[in-house]
Amino acid sequence: MSISRLTSHASRLTSHASRLTSLAAAALLATACARPEAGGGGPTGGTLVIVTAGDADVLFPPSGASTVCADISGLVFSRLAELTLELNTVDDSGFRPALARSWEHADSLTLVFHLDPRARWHDGTPVRAEDVAFTYDVYLDTLVGSRFRPNLAAIDSVTARDSLTAVFHFARWYPEQLYDATYHTRILPRHLLDSIPRGRLASSAFARAPVGSGPFRFVRWEAGTIIAVAADTGHFLGRPRLDRVVWRVVPDLGAGVSALLAGEGDAIAVLPPRELRERVRADSSFRMVPYAPNALAFISFNLRDRDRRGPHPVFGDRAVRRAIAMAVDRATIVRSLFGAEGEVPVGPTARAQWIWSDSIRQLPFDSAAAGRLLDEAGWRDGDGDGVREKGGRPLRFVLLLPTTSRTRQDAAVLIQEQLRRVGVHMLLLPLEFNLFEQRGLRRDFDAIFQSRNLDASPAGILQLFAGEGVRHGNYGRYESPVFDSLVHRAIATPTRAAARPLWREALETLNDDAAALFVFSPPFAAAVHRRFETVTIRPDEWLATVTEWSVPPRSRLSRDR
Amino acid sequence: MSPPPLRRAWARFRAHRTAVAAAVVVAALCLAALGAPLLAPADPLAQPDPVGLQNRPPSAEHPLGTDRFSRDVASRLLYGARVSLGIGAAAALLAVVIGAGVGLAAGLGTAAVDQVLMRSVDVALALPRVFLILLALALWEDAPAWVVVGLIAVTGWFQTSRVVRALALRLRESEFVQAARALGAPRSRLAVRHLLPHVAPAVIVSATLDVGNIILLESGLSYLGLGVRAPAPSWGNMILEGKDQLLSAPWVAVAPGAALLLTVAAFNLAGDGLQDALDPRTDG
Amino acid sequence: MPTYLVRRFALALVTTAAAVALTFALVHLAPGEPFLAGAEERFVPPETIARLRRDFGLDRPLAAQFARYVANVARGDLGESFTRRRPVAAVIGETLPATLLLGGVALALSFALGLGLGVVQARRAGGLADAALSTVALALASVPAFWLGLMLLLVFGEWLHWLPVAGMTDAVAGPSRGWLALSLDVARHLVLPALTLALVNAATVARFHRAAMLEALGADFVRAARARGLAEARILAAHAFRAALAPAIALAGLSVPALLTGSVLVESVFGWPGMGRVAYEAIFARDYNVVTGVTVVAAVLVAVGSLLADIGVAAADPRVRRA
Repeated sequence: MSISRLTSHASRLTSHASRLTSLAAAALLATACARPEAGGGGPTGGTLVIVTAGDADVLFPPSGASTVCADISGLVFSRLAELTLELNTVDDSGFRPALARSWEHADSLTLVFHLDPRARWHDGTPVRAEDVAFTYDVYLDTLVGSRFRPNLAAIDSVTARDSLTAVFHFARWYPEQLYDATYHTRILPRHLLDSIPRGRLASSAFARAPVGSGPFRFVRWEAGTIIAVAADTGHFLGRPRLDRVVWRVVPDLGAGVSALLAGEGDAIAVLPPRELRERVRADSSFRMVPYAPNALAFISFNLRDRDRRGPHPVFGDRAVRRAIAMAVDRATIVRSLFGAEGEVPVGPTARAQWIWSDSIRQLPFDSAAAGRLLDEAGWRDGDGDGVREKGGRPLRFVLLLPTTSRTRQDAAVLIQEQLRRVGVHMLLLPLEFNLFEQRGLRRDFDAIFQSRNLDASPAGILQLFAGEGVRHGNYGRYESPVFDSLVHRAIATPTRAAARPLWREALETLNDDAAALFVFSPPFAAAVHRRFETVTIRPDEWLATVTEWSVPPRSRLSRDR
Repeated sequence: MSPPPLRRAWARFRAHRTAVAAAVVVAALCLAALGAPLLAPADPLAQPDPVGLQNRPPSAEHPLGTDRFSRDVASRLLYGARVSLGIGAAAALLAVVIGAGVGLAAGLGTAAVDQVLMRSVDVALALPRVFLILLALALWEDAPAWVVVGLIAVTGWFQTSRVVRALALRLRESEFVQAARALGAPRSRLAVRHLLPHVAPAVIVSATLDVGNIILLESGLSYLGLGVRAPAPSWGNMILEGKDQLLSAPWVAVAPGAALLLTVAAFNLAGDGLQDALDPRTDG
Repeated sequence: MPTYLVRRFALALVTTAAAVALTFALVHLAPGEPFLAGAEERFVPPETIARLRRDFGLDRPLAAQFARYVANVARGDLGESFTRRRPVAAVIGETLPATLLLGGVALALSFALGLGLGVVQARRAGGLADAALSTVALALASVPAFWLGLMLLLVFGEWLHWLPVAGMTDAVAGPSRGWLALSLDVARHLVLPALTLALVNAATVARFHRAAMLEALGADFVRAARARGLAEARILAAHAFRAALAPAIALAGLSVPALLTGSVLVESVFGWPGMGRVAYEAIFARDYNVVTGVTVVAAVLVAVGSLLADIGVAAADPRVRRA
């Protein structure tokens, strides 16, 4: 109760402050003397309204699965260190200080962080190393069940040597120690969360009104409608240039674009459908800001039977998976959905990741070969209904989809028809996002059409396809010791040049086994209102640099005040 | 009292020109729906070229254009007619059968039976039809078409039962029914042989007027993604698919919408005409 | 009158009870255990499932479960929403006002339009205006509400940019505005969805009212009034209109189900945050408690609407009271 009152006090103060600031700026403009604010120079102010199709699920970083939650976690919470735009995850130079002012490798297995003493939680309490240790404890706790837990497997322990020093011990040396220590987690406030039973954290009041240490503080969340955060004016790294960021929920992407163009929003992170991008381009108030594609939509096949008693009747057979993969014309799908933009993925990676290469071996599109493979595997159409059978069982399966993704639904319709031509009957089942996620986690599906914004480092592939991810992000329960060992060796290799061939082989192994069908990598371009300047976008987290976005006073709209 | 003079009713109906036109349209629609496999220029599911033939405006080869998967809209419209008219007719038929059954039982039965049945109808009239159907569809993932038909019928027979009951009550006091009873004819026989011909016209009118509403209801369910599922076409789900492209490819959503409007209007007009023709009150 | 009221009220109660029973029956006829499915989390141990079963009372006989369900509903406890992790009653409580606002305005608008149309048609019965208006009414009665909504959205929202395209308010501006600004904002957002519902319903009202008016105009007392030389307009307004009023009120009561049905579709087209949209979204989330809760509430609304309409009719038409 007191937290929200503090927060509302803070936001009221902030809005007062920003009103005063713009008044003062206006007055001083006459003397052509802009008053610089801390941390960046230039007048501050402005409201960024982001139109989003999905609402947040919970605003608790270890548990949240929605993209909005990821967005907000990035603004309200902080990491120990942040990646720069170059996304160099292998060298320490690729990171800049955040909650940690500096760090050093004490030895090959130990990383020591020195926290910035100025760092504060939004309720005023200083950020301490005990918060860091607590955070890791929470992320690793099975009761919390965080999907980031497997990413932290290489970290043995996190301790607080003193109140400003956190020490990480690793099981082994590898180049991305700093990346793993900082990227996957957001530091949580121990003093606010310690007393809550771990299993209840995700449904606690904190998860609906979070308190962090990031450049923005949480203001309000009206479920299904709006989430608002406001600039933390006293932030130790300097306040953001903008005053507020607001997420407006419009469940349908087309209606969202209409709302955007009608002046009810300022930005949309990604606009896969072609006609929507063209609508935005046709509007002179907006521009499309492209950035390196870092997302992947893929269909995971459940390799085990839904009752978990044996291999899946359809997907347990490698030949059938390969046939299905070869029956799908991905290039046509990408061109149909995105026109000249968008790409066919070469594996579970995207162009923003350094392991991408156009020459990685994949299964070709060849429906004739697909048909032959299915014939050889014993699936033939005996009764002439257009669907193959084997042992009385038709070659039919259900594909789960989230209702929130128009592009995946369209892609599914295209795939459905392509599979129909080779005698495979795919049924579509659109589900609400949370239910879709739940069924995925429970492995209650035949095939599931997922989409992932990829991590900055390709090491994230372990979650999706390695044996260790089987109880986590590896929904299809694909297990290949060959693949696992290749990836582990690649991660441990000191230089990218030496690691590249290992990554290539790992991806090719996945493709050969048809562990999943990598359907498309959507074109990444954000629609942003023209009045926003100094807009940069980091491919793995589009709002990572939003603290620098600004609205010059002359371009401000009524909502910026 | 003899059955309503059908010849006079037919003459009246024929005089009502708009009603006749509507009936002709209805017949044409039914024929088109039945003959869809022959009339459709293409396979409604086929996607010949999802890149080059996407969202093409109407042309000689595709009279109503193509949708964003390069499927022929005209073919989908025809096959969608099968769904709409099929479900409409089946559900309307089932509904009037149930309604007539209940109405006859109430009208011919004892006072107690009548009270119970009619009170139930009063109660049932208050049930929120669409929410019950939504609930049922939510619980039953991937419900087959006959389930939708059944649900719609079971929630929509009430008006028919009232009409039939009123008729049955009136007729049971007529001479020849009483004569038949005196001769010992069982009630069920009475119902079938003597009353049905009287009741039939009202039931037909009821059914015709119902079809329009049922078609709208089914299209609403499909629009919400709950009725006929992709890729099978239904007018409702065609509108759903086309709604995001109203500016760039309007024919995808406008064609099924216009088809719905035309179909329902035709059924309504024809039903109105039938009602006017068969309603003894308008007899001078 | 009092006996009539009591009987009508009793009927309303029975109706609601029947709806609750039917809803309960539907959910329990479904295969699997829907109440449990939504509550499951990843890799839940069997002891937790047993505990959940006990908590939901799923291990008791069906009759006991039903009794418990009815008791809960009577108390206002409609269960908990799996997706939102909040009581269903709270979720409905937040969204019902929006639906009532939309439905109420649509009802009023449809009656204004429909009655007006009916009067004009009756006045010019048989003429060109009558035929033209009949065609319009027919078209409106035959058009799918969601398609009409899409067309209106296209014209007024996208082409002309006169009206907003989604939602109930400009959520960004926030609730801190004065209530006048807020009301105006809601009104702007209300125009298109209410108009859509109203147009479709107005057609039914018009058709009905035209027939009622014509019958009233042909009645003896009107002919007598004409013989006495009263002006046509006054005859229309005073006598015929009042005579046709009772059936119109009855129709209003009967319109509630139609408006509720329409609201599900129209709310989803316009993103109006009402109860219908909540129910629709809950379906894809398999959030059965929400859907059953909305069904029960809808049944209550229909029962209340019908009750109020009957009371209105009884007040307007003394003959009914003695029935």
